[in-house]
Amino acid sequence: MTAVTLHNVSKTYRSYGHVWDALWEVVTKTRRHREWVALHPLTLEIFNGQVVGIIGTNGAGKSTLLKLIAGTLTPSSGEIRVNGQVAALLELGAGFHPDMSGRDNVYLGASVMGLPASQVDRLYDEIVAFAGLEGFMDQPVKTYSSGMYMRLAFAVATAVDPDVLILDETLSVGDGAFARKSFDRIIGYKTAGKTILFCSHNLYQVEAICNRVIWLDHGRMVMDGEPGRVTSAYAEFLKSISGEVLGADPPIASSSPTENSVARLTKIEVSVDGSVGYELRVQTGRTDLTVSIGFESDSALPPPSIGVTIVGSNGWAVTSASTANDGLILERQEDGSGEVRVTFPRLALLKGNYWVNVFLLCESGIHIYDRAEQVAQLRVVQKGLEQGVVTLPREWSFAKPRCDSPQARRRTNGLGPTRLPELRH
Amino acid sequence: MALHFSISTVSRLPGLTVAGLLGPFQVLVRERDLLCLLVRRDIVGRTSGTLLGGAWMLAQPALQVLAFWFLLDFVLRIKTPGKVAFVDYFLTSMLPWLFISEVLTRSLSVMSEFSALYKRTVFPLKVLPLLPALVAGLIYLPVFAVVVGFLTGLQGAIKAVLILIALLVWLLPVGYLLAVFGCFVKDLRQIFPFLLNMMLYLTPIMYLPEMLPPEFQSLLSVNPFADAIAVIHGVLQSMPVTSGNVLRPMLCWVLLLAPTWVLFHRAEPHMREVL
Repeated sequence: MTAVTLHNVSKTYRSYGHVWDALWEVVTKTRRHREWVALHPLTLEIFNGQVVGIIGTNGAGKSTLLKLIAGTLTPSSGEIRVNGQVAALLELGAGFHPDMSGRDNVYLGASVMGLPASQVDRLYDEIVAFAGLEGFMDQPVKTYSSGMYMRLAFAVATAVDPDVLILDETLSVGDGAFARKSFDRIIGYKTAGKTILFCSHNLYQVEAICNRVIWLDHGRMVMDGEPGRVTSAYAEFLKSISGEVLGADPPIASSSPTENSVARLTKIEVSVDGSVGYELRVQTGRTDLTVSIGFESDSALPPPSIGVTIVGSNGWAVTSASTANDGLILERQEDGSGEVRVTFPRLALLKGNYWVNVFLLCESGIHIYDRAEQVAQLRVVQKGLEQGVVTLPREWSFAKPRCDSPQARRRTNGLGPTRLPELRH
Repeated sequence: MALHFSISTVSRLPGLTVAGLLGPFQVLVRERDLLCLLVRRDIVGRTSGTLLGGAWMLAQPALQVLAFWFLLDFVLRIKTPGKVAFVDYFLTSMLPWLFISEVLTRSLSVMSEFSALYKRTVFPLKVLPLLPALVAGLIYLPVFAVVVGFLTGLQGAIKAVLILIALLVWLLPVGYLLAVFGCFVKDLRQIFPFLLNMMLYLTPIMYLPEMLPPEFQSLLSVNPFADAIAVIHGVLQSMPVTSGNVLRPMLCWVLLLAPTWVLFHRAEPHMREVL
């Protein structure tokens, strides 16, 4: 069944020289504005249970599309039909009245979402408990910290058990334990077969969570389909214009975990051939790279997972390894702490500078608990003139062997002179 | 082209008028929970932190009434020809005027006051212009009923309640109109107290209609508020009422229903996204 249908939906933003022009236009219906197109006419069908990721550079129209579906923007043309209850976490806290108490804002927010007061009465305690704001509900929300504000907004928006959930650049809200809780709730919607629309610059998360990806560029749909195919095409596109849109896939800022974090990295040691350091000299195909990672975690939660990425000087990930992806479950002490080591034997990177980033993630490898970026710099040197970023094992063969030998081929791993038998003449 | 436009406009007028008449009531019913919450919060917010709390809602207009009564009856001892004492006349028209003035003034600012609620959200905007009328109604209805009851008896009190409700409904289209204009034309909020004062002087509240010099008498017939006040006196104090006093405000109301509703509807996306 269709959850969301868009038929030729477009959005044009208007700007007026003066507010009088806007009034004149409203009264007389004569055009007094300049406009720019944020979304060209788009026809789209999203089916129940789909988790749709929307990707694109800044200004591609991702947020506009989500806001149109959420109903917070009015389309300039076309028709949008949404079946079922929609919850949108687009601008957290929008719709809260700063002078009203937390309690009133819960009722107000729920009422705007179409919930009758009687149903809010039933949900109220759960909302407050989920937000963890017992004892603060009679204070005006303007006295809340931004974290409390976001927690309440999230709890209200998701309490209604929406059929369609719309998320902008976020798979979790707040920090520490609440981030995990909100992430679990969102993943719970996915498991329950709800429809989720999610826009992000983080292609890894999009690929991990979505089963359909839409790529928008300059307000037009470029591609719509299977996540791996669309994200890799988009990544190619980003590489081709990386000069223009520096920061389109922004490096994730290093964050220091807060006191109430449910898991954090405690130790990171990068070594090559046993010698630990920050600036490390690596020889292509000869050096073993080892990353030792210590972590602490809440033992009540499933064991976290570890991800290590090696990025090039242009910020693009050259390779990655994660325990979740490799099907490993981390072993840890009773107190939730543990240590894990990953080794990349005979590192196949070609000459250049690379950085090592380490991530501590949830058990499914999507939600990031903690991260440490640029924990080591690898200065790779190579012998020979091989080009590119990585050397791959390979086999050469001749289309027409010059002799009658069926073995007329030469196998090499690209790392030096072959040890295979010489070609016979 | 122009002829076609005017014909199509006129042919759509009856339907739009019905929409303008029923629209606010449909919003009232559909969003009753939201409105209850906003009205309650408004009333609580006005008096929170005070010793008397909610009692101030009644005490404030009641004190105003006492002050007028003291000034007019005890200090100035104004006597006017006719069977109705001036203080009775004054109170019967001043309280509805205070109600009207409260509704109109708040309607101008209600959209910006609650902009945090509807900017970038799906908040039903049409709820907001109902708020000033409902809050002012709750404040002035009890006081007006008690004062009129005190002056004319229980039957008068019931009539007073009905009059204020009718006045509330009569003001709704103007409320929607001012809500839009207040949002677009910020200057209006600066000039509005002056306009309201002028309207008060041009409406026979602090004087009887016959006290106005003959050359200004015609002004009363183009002022719908003067007509409304005349009808109120007619109903409550059996003073003379002409058919014009009833028809003129009715006509204004009916003619405003369609344009104000359509205007608000058209302005909604602008209020949400542009302003």
